[in-house]
Amino acid sequence: MARLRVGPLERAERRLGYALLAPALLLLSAVVLYPIATLLWTSTQQLHLAQPWLEGFVGWENYDRAMDDPRFWSALGVTLIYVGVTVPGAILCGLGLALLANLPFRVKWPVRLGLLLPWALPLVFAGLIFRWFFEYEQGVVNAVLRLFGAEPLRWLSTPDLAFISTSTAIVWKSSSFVALVLLAGLQAIPSSLYEAAAVDGASAWQRFRHVTLPMLRPAIVVALIFRTITAIQTFDIPYAMTGGGPGHSTETLAMYVHRTTIDVLDFGYGSALAALMFLLSLALTSLYIRQTRRDEGTG
Amino acid sequence: MSTSNRIGRRAALAGLAGAAVAPAARAQAPVSLRLFTGGQQRPDVMRRILDVFQERNPGIRAEVEVGGATSDQQQQYLNTVLASRDSALDVVLIDVIRPAQWAAARWAEPLDAYLGAERDAIMARYLPAYREANIVGGRVMALPYFADAQFLYFRRDLLAKHQVAPPTTWDELSAGAQKILAAEAAANPSLRGFATAGAPIEGTVCSFLVPLWGMGGTLTDAQGKLALNPAQAQRALALWSDLRAKNVTPANLAEIATDRIRVDMQAGNLIFAMQWGYAWNRFQNDADSQVKDRIGVVPLPSFAGNAPATCVGGWQLAVSAFSKNKEAAAKLVRFLSSPEVSKMQAIAASHLPVFPEVYEDAEVLAANPWFRDARAVVLGARARPVTPRYAEVSEAIRTSMNGFLAGTRTADQALADMTQRLTPVLR
Repeated sequence: MARLRVGPLERAERRLGYALLAPALLLLSAVVLYPIATLLWTSTQQLHLAQPWLEGFVGWENYDRAMDDPRFWSALGVTLIYVGVTVPGAILCGLGLALLANLPFRVKWPVRLGLLLPWALPLVFAGLIFRWFFEYEQGVVNAVLRLFGAEPLRWLSTPDLAFISTSTAIVWKSSSFVALVLLAGLQAIPSSLYEAAAVDGASAWQRFRHVTLPMLRPAIVVALIFRTITAIQTFDIPYAMTGGGPGHSTETLAMYVHRTTIDVLDFGYGSALAALMFLLSLALTSLYIRQTRRDEGTG
Repeated sequence: MSTSNRIGRRAALAGLAGAAVAPAARAQAPVSLRLFTGGQQRPDVMRRILDVFQERNPGIRAEVEVGGATSDQQQQYLNTVLASRDSALDVVLIDVIRPAQWAAARWAEPLDAYLGAERDAIMARYLPAYREANIVGGRVMALPYFADAQFLYFRRDLLAKHQVAPPTTWDELSAGAQKILAAEAAANPSLRGFATAGAPIEGTVCSFLVPLWGMGGTLTDAQGKLALNPAQAQRALALWSDLRAKNVTPANLAEIATDRIRVDMQAGNLIFAMQWGYAWNRFQNDADSQVKDRIGVVPLPSFAGNAPATCVGGWQLAVSAFSKNKEAAAKLVRFLSSPEVSKMQAIAASHLPVFPEVYEDAEVLAANPWFRDARAVVLGARARPVTPRYAEVSEAIRTSMNGFLAGTRTADQALADMTQRLTPVLR
């Protein structure tokens, strides 16, 4: 196709456009592109602060090491299980909370506050609070068990129970964010749709199934993307509750990256692990994005 | 350009700049030093000692920054500060296992120049273990602040009541704990027999090494190479599984960190504990202590026929390589690592002295009657492997131990994991 002739006025406008874009581009490069490039570059280096005499370029070696590292695979598995459990868990609980909060309460602020509080709480605090809930001798959960004459359980040092208790904390913490996103979606659904459905004789379940859910779909996808990315990065709550224990049965990829870089000071290998984690987020979120594109294409 | 070169060049530049500015600055504003210590190393006592220093050195102000409760948490924070070559900290209190790593990473300013001609004479005054721990590659990387070792703490009142003698072997400890637990269960259902660190933290490394050494075993040979005898290591781990099977240790041992043991004992809920020296002072002086004057301290039990073993602990004062006030920082470190301060700490915090003569000081003994026997224990204590890659060694041992103590890994599996991960590091 032949290029259209561009007049001097348009050219000036185009230049102005670029000039206006430049600050955003520069900022993005500085805070996103540069760190990612540095990470990728570091991941091809041997850079271990306890062995500075071995520094140098090693190419793919750090990635090869990850492929042969059982602990990497274990951390990857744990991370994927957290994604598989806490993402649907948070979406379901969040949807329930959003539907509740959308009821016509006379006074709305206590409901909103209840939704916002867990979200506003720092992750580590949530982890520490739940650690005390599940503590063996003094925890609330074991106190209730004892009240009913049951044996107390080692919630934080039995692998399955440690997983359940950390997942509970994560779902509690993250469902309020999901609820906020979904609540916004719910309020955007025009009430005329419900009225029309009611006129057609649709039951409450049918209205939910055929009006609410389809209309809420874009909001659910947004919530899913955000929740999945944060689930892949799960760190604070298991870190505060179990420290990855017992053994490393609750150690996620993010925790392994942190251990490798901050504890062991192996920045080269840690960067390779972080790059692999980045790939995982990219792969999982691109699935959702493809899904939404398809929706837009057909819808 | 390598990191070390960069650091070297920066240090050199900083040194030049410091030399040019120092004389002018000294006359005007006082030098301000920032000292980092852990929450468990009695920052309150450190503050009192620093006040004395400030009184004698009006030109220098020193403030305390308090870090996390465990050695690992502190080092995680320090790793981020020092890897980014931040000059915010001047003096850092580091665990006895760290000088080799700090030397390799070039985070500690070698102190030889600051000690001058007296260097050898000064170093000769310390207990040998601490002299050796702080000299890396022939250079003084830090100076000792206080010594430490693990001891057996016990409830004197409960042992006397049930006619149990302070145990000298692990079998006696197990039998004594079971006897007392059986008799006291009705009066105090929260009472537990014995605790040691089991969470995935640094202290748990010693929970592995103490029984291993006690069996006559070793982790590394004289060259620092891994020399773990699987049969011996198995028997060492069996100590903890036996005590667990007999309900002497708490069910959640794998969740217990060092200071939690102190808290439980202080609340009157533990008969025996393997614990460091600092706990004594808390038992005696804390307002909430339920066990004042009811605690005894003896060397750790042994396995019949072997000598008892214990880990060398203790805290060292390093001058940060990135400090802008190294001269003043070194002066402070020399003061803090003096017999005078060793005595002050011993009385105020039951911190074990790093000078042999302070153990015999009358005032020190009045505050800590058990120090009389403690010197021999400190002298006999063994060091954890000395390597710049100690962080990896520790990580491999404590996570394997934690899995074993939680019952999720058998002794075989835990030892196989540990060996597989230690082999490439300790070679």
